[in-house]
Amino acid sequence: MDPQSDCTLVTAVSCHDIFDLQTGQSDSSPLAKGTAFAFIKAVQSVNERLVKLSEKQTLLFEVILLGKDCEEQAKSKIFDSAKYYDLEIGKFCFCSKEKFERTLQENHVKLFLSSDRDDVHSALKAGVPAALLCQQADQQVQNQLKVLFSGDLIGLTEDSTEYLKDLGFNDVQIHNFKAAKGRIQEFAMLIGEMRRRFGCEDSPLHTILMTVWGSRDICATALKTLRAWGLDVDEAFCLAGAPCTPILTVLQPHILWDDGLHNLKET
Amino acid sequence: MNKINHQQTANNVETQSVERMKAKDPPTPSKKPKSPKPQNAVTIAVSSRALFNMEFEQQIFEQKGMEEYLKYQLDHETEPFAPGPAFPFIKALESVNEQLRNLYPDSEELFDVVLMTNNHAHAGIRLINSINHHNLFVERFCMTGGNSPIGYLKAYHTNLYLSADSSKVREAIEEGIAAATMFSAEKVTQVSETQLRVAFDGDAVLFSDESERIYKTQGLEKFFEHEKTYENKPLDHGPLKGFLEALGKLQRKFYAKGHRIDCPIRTYLVTARSAASSGSRALKTLRAWGLETDEALFLAGAPKGPMLAKIKPHIFFDDQMFHIEGAAELGTVAAHVPYGIAQKMPPKKTKDI
Repeated sequence: MDPQSDCTLVTAVSCHDIFDLQTGQSDSSPLAKGTAFAFIKAVQSVNERLVKLSEKQTLLFEVILLGKDCEEQAKSKIFDSAKYYDLEIGKFCFCSKEKFERTLQENHVKLFLSSDRDDVHSALKAGVPAALLCQQADQQVQNQLKVLFSGDLIGLTEDSTEYLKDLGFNDVQIHNFKAAKGRIQEFAMLIGEMRRRFGCEDSPLHTILMTVWGSRDICATALKTLRAWGLDVDEAFCLAGAPCTPILTVLQPHILWDDGLHNLKET
Repeated sequence: MNKINHQQTANNVETQSVERMKAKDPPTPSKKPKSPKPQNAVTIAVSSRALFNMEFEQQIFEQKGMEEYLKYQLDHETEPFAPGPAFPFIKALESVNEQLRNLYPDSEELFDVVLMTNNHAHAGIRLINSINHHNLFVERFCMTGGNSPIGYLKAYHTNLYLSADSSKVREAIEEGIAAATMFSAEKVTQVSETQLRVAFDGDAVLFSDESERIYKTQGLEKFFEHEKTYENKPLDHGPLKGFLEALGKLQRKFYAKGHRIDCPIRTYLVTARSAASSGSRALKTLRAWGLETDEALFLAGAPKGPMLAKIKPHIFFDDQMFHIEGAAELGTVAAHVPYGIAQKMPPKKTKDI
């Protein structure tokens, strides 16, 4: 593997999330902004700051646009709109639905983001790290990229699976969660390295740990695990079963990495 | 194990570091009871500096900045913090919860304590270690890494917010959340571990500051006249009325099971109003609201310190720093409610409401 590309945080986003392809528009006007827009802009400001720190910076985000079954017309619209909005997109990958997972794998995607839970699930099944792209309450560009990690997943150890069983998860699911913890690691380590480039305050990258059901000890394990991976999170929340939606509404993360563990609807 | 350490003065840094104990192994956890849903519980949000003594660390932050502060926390991660001003209050809440659970095993109407701190999560492990060390039932926390706690306070349906940071407390009150500023004290009296005692000032705490305004702008005589004229008109509510209400609800659960005299929650009104005159309106207002306090003490302007020293509440709420200081001098944990006219005018040293 090319050492250069190993450092690049290749993030794939579906074109359906970057632009709103549903609502009809005239030929001349650009496509409307989608869910991922704020994310891409936030990523760009992180890259800008990283480059400012060191011009020879190799640890950067690279955003790949993924288009599943896009018509030719749509493709050119997408190119033009990306240019119009000044989006720094490293690669445009158009593929068929069948080749979707393969395309992700071939591009050494370190993270696939989608607002569609099924897409996230298929990517995970194919062994590609994937996370949920969150809808931002206001599409105003934030000056911070917020990444949220699940403490329930990261704090998972052999001895601590009881509480997941109590919640109703079966052995297969718990096994999958353990595998998920491994997948998060690479991404978390890269984010950790990036985060360390900035100081405690005024960082364009903001990391959050949220433990929804686990006890405070699970949360402590998660904090220690992340630290061992090189990531010291900025904010930490332990909910002990309280509904997470009100907290998420305040937090407004761009990326939510929970591997499908949490149902975001009110329980 | 639950001995409450007396606070050291800020100067006595050497003794403080000697007092820091290395963390023992946490006791074998028995099955912990599940935390209640926020909307069912009486939620108390407490900041890290209110719950624990972090004076030394605070000094480092103020003098040397964030990076040094966080490094210090990291280096001392296994050393639990000593108790802070809100600690006895929080411990008493847990005792009440135990007693409530005995009587109502399936109910979620309990106290719930949330650690609501501005700290970065870097200090998180040390805080969790400290909670474990003191065997506190604090399962929920928000370490906001510098962001405002207000949104999270609302998300948790917070009934009372205690913090050492007066600007956050002010913000909370402006948003309609009951809140008070806590101070570390040099002398703290031993308080009950089984009965929670909460004392409230009247004007600008339980009640609005409308009458206090009259006293401060027009003098004592005008105040008496006004209160006599409007004796039967209930005062408007103040920032802590809701909290008294929440306590009352829990008290009635004990009464329903025959625990009236020995109720594990006891409330007090400690007001400078006088029993003979202006006090009447205060009592009538409470009655109109369907609320009551177990005891009402009308001091007619006398200092509150000695009375509070007799009552020994876990916490006393007042809007005037003059009373807060007076209470603290004699060992009562007093929390300041930054609300109303008293915040804008210089304190009067003589007869006060």
